[in-house]
Amino acid sequence: MTVLPVGVMPPLPVAGPLAVAGLLLATGTRLPRRMPDVVAILVALAACVLCALMAMGSAHAPLVYWFGGWEPRHGLAIGIGFVVSPAGAWLGAFIALLFAATLLFAWGYFDAVHAHFHVLMLLFMAGMIGFCLTHDLFNLFVWFELMSVSAFALTGYALRTDALEGALNFTVVNTIGSYLILGGIGLIYLEVGALDFSALGRGVAAHPGDPAVAAAFALLASGLLTKGAQVPFHFWLSDAHAVAPSPVSVIFSGAMVSIGLYGVAVLDWTVFAGSAVVQHLVHTLLLGMGAASAAVGGVMALMQRHVKRLLAFSTISHAGILLVGLALSDGNGLSGMLVYLLGHGLVKGALFMVAGIMLASLGGIDELGLRGQGRRIWPAGLVMGFGGLLLAGMPVGLMDTGLERIELAMRDQHQIVVRVAVLTGMVCTGAAVLRVAGRVFVGWGPVSGEEECSPTDEEREKADRPLWLMMLPTVVLVALSLCGSHDADRIAWRAAALLMHPDGEAILGLATARPAVVAPWAAVPGSWLPWVATGLAVALSGLELFWHRLPRSLARGYDRASGPALGALGALHSGLVGDYVAWIAVGLALFVLA
Amino acid sequence: MPVGQALDHATSLLPWCVSAWLLGVGLYAILTSRHFVHLIGCLSVVQSSTYVLLLAAGYRKGAQAPIFYSHPPGIAVDPVLQALVLTDVVIGATVTALLLALVLQLHKRRGTLDPERLRPMRR
Repeated sequence: MTVLPVGVMPPLPVAGPLAVAGLLLATGTRLPRRMPDVVAILVALAACVLCALMAMGSAHAPLVYWFGGWEPRHGLAIGIGFVVSPAGAWLGAFIALLFAATLLFAWGYFDAVHAHFHVLMLLFMAGMIGFCLTHDLFNLFVWFELMSVSAFALTGYALRTDALEGALNFTVVNTIGSYLILGGIGLIYLEVGALDFSALGRGVAAHPGDPAVAAAFALLASGLLTKGAQVPFHFWLSDAHAVAPSPVSVIFSGAMVSIGLYGVAVLDWTVFAGSAVVQHLVHTLLLGMGAASAAVGGVMALMQRHVKRLLAFSTISHAGILLVGLALSDGNGLSGMLVYLLGHGLVKGALFMVAGIMLASLGGIDELGLRGQGRRIWPAGLVMGFGGLLLAGMPVGLMDTGLERIELAMRDQHQIVVRVAVLTGMVCTGAAVLRVAGRVFVGWGPVSGEEECSPTDEEREKADRPLWLMMLPTVVLVALSLCGSHDADRIAWRAAALLMHPDGEAILGLATARPAVVAPWAAVPGSWLPWVATGLAVALSGLELFWHRLPRSLARGYDRASGPALGALGALHSGLVGDYVAWIAVGLALFVLA
Repeated sequence: MPVGQALDHATSLLPWCVSAWLLGVGLYAILTSRHFVHLIGCLSVVQSSTYVLLLAAGYRKGAQAPIFYSHPPGIAVDPVLQALVLTDVVIGATVTALLLALVLQLHKRRGTLDPERLRPMRR
């Protein structure tokens, strides 16, 4: 069936985009106008196909590729390897697909430039796929940096004032996160003397109670959680996602944030599985951070009127749910996290595309200012309303399947507070998106008199792109998030089992591969949570839109109850980079205390 | 010789203390910075803490440089960590260059580089 042997594939989805990016940069000025668009989309699709083939090829045993043929000698990893597991490869395929859709959405978005946008996007994609496939801690850091630096450049790409300010905050905060990761790498290398994941895993298991190992995990996790936007490391996200060009925001929210969390999952299970201290940290502190992010992100989303910033906070909330799935540390939680990651990426990507359509067709992104103006682009409104219901947990599609798994794990472990936090996040983010859809595309809600004071300057994105061209990728993403949830659940169950029990001995050549231990798959019994969440979200969005029609005493009570606490929470998100760095220090202190 | 041993012990701890101090002082300076160019300098200070940490982790007392072209093979300091530091330097240079470019563009548009007066969202 396949033209290429699976054994030589692992470097291709990374090396291909890097090579094409270089070629585009060299020849960009001489190419016909639409050529870079076509080339970039084709490369993304090719990477997607390659990753999917590798994912199917690695279903029973991981594909191992040592660069330059430097295979391990006597169990000592001397080279750098890619180890392709189904989880990493499917994630790579998803990333490449999201890039292809985004590049199609961005068709003709930037035309004054020599394909620089496409070069940066391809570098960004290569960094993310490399991050998913690598099996070496320092190599992981290099891919992480490649992805970060392209992300920084893409955020400020439009060179508008607020985009530059957001990009600065983003760069400073994330760079500090990178240095924390590097410090963690130094510490663990000092302790174990290896950088290969399997070798590290063996070394960590040999020093189970070592405080330096726990410190290394704290530093690595802080850096990755900064990328994964978890409370209290999340502050950069709402600035960066709100001001980046819409196609870039699609990738940021759909894939980049969740990739950081996938990194935590890989480190947790392949490197630190043998350390009881770290497992305890994951199960207590990270679980708490995830729950806090889910709740804080949801409430903050409800308070926004800048639609992209609202979606950015909703990403924080859903990333929190992902971290909850990871931190529950069992098969259901992890496999639920993997499916939820795909579903959320597709839905959130589509919602950011709708925000891009609003910026291009309506010339603004302020919810109050655009009241009722979206009627002429009603298809976008339909997608937004539907996306809101999916975020709230409507029981169809991938997001719901993932959530049911996470919910099962939460129920098994009697995590009542965490369940309430997750429910809050789902209800608030769903309600916020439904409220925007109702106000902008239907015209519901009162005229508040604040329409003119929009939180940002005049924003507009390039307008002369046809609506159908922008709607096509949006609809495709939503449709993908609805299909195949049953198969995805089975595949993720197996992928999670392989991720949780990596065969390190075989990768290092110390033993022959043992058959994978996969617990038999069983369908999740449906729960009441999705129905309750969807119902509450619809009710809450109705309350937000029509509270002025309530009896006056009730309306005043609603105002008074929600005012002060929300004001304080809003004031914390000050937009000042110094404050954000202070919160990083607080997060580090939390790791020390726990 | 207890005095010599104590001294050895103290000097072997010194790089870790320097690294922690650089990290702390750099973060504090970023917190209180009132100018973005100054802030980028502080970010480099934070980064130097990782240089010191990595070099200290790879250091072996009395060992030679890991270059065997003109020397006889012998005990050398760990070359892996030196390679990491080199990569780190490259990354640091990239990020600093990018940040300075962003700051330059911002100064052209806003005429100020005080973080207090530059906020992406005025709310």
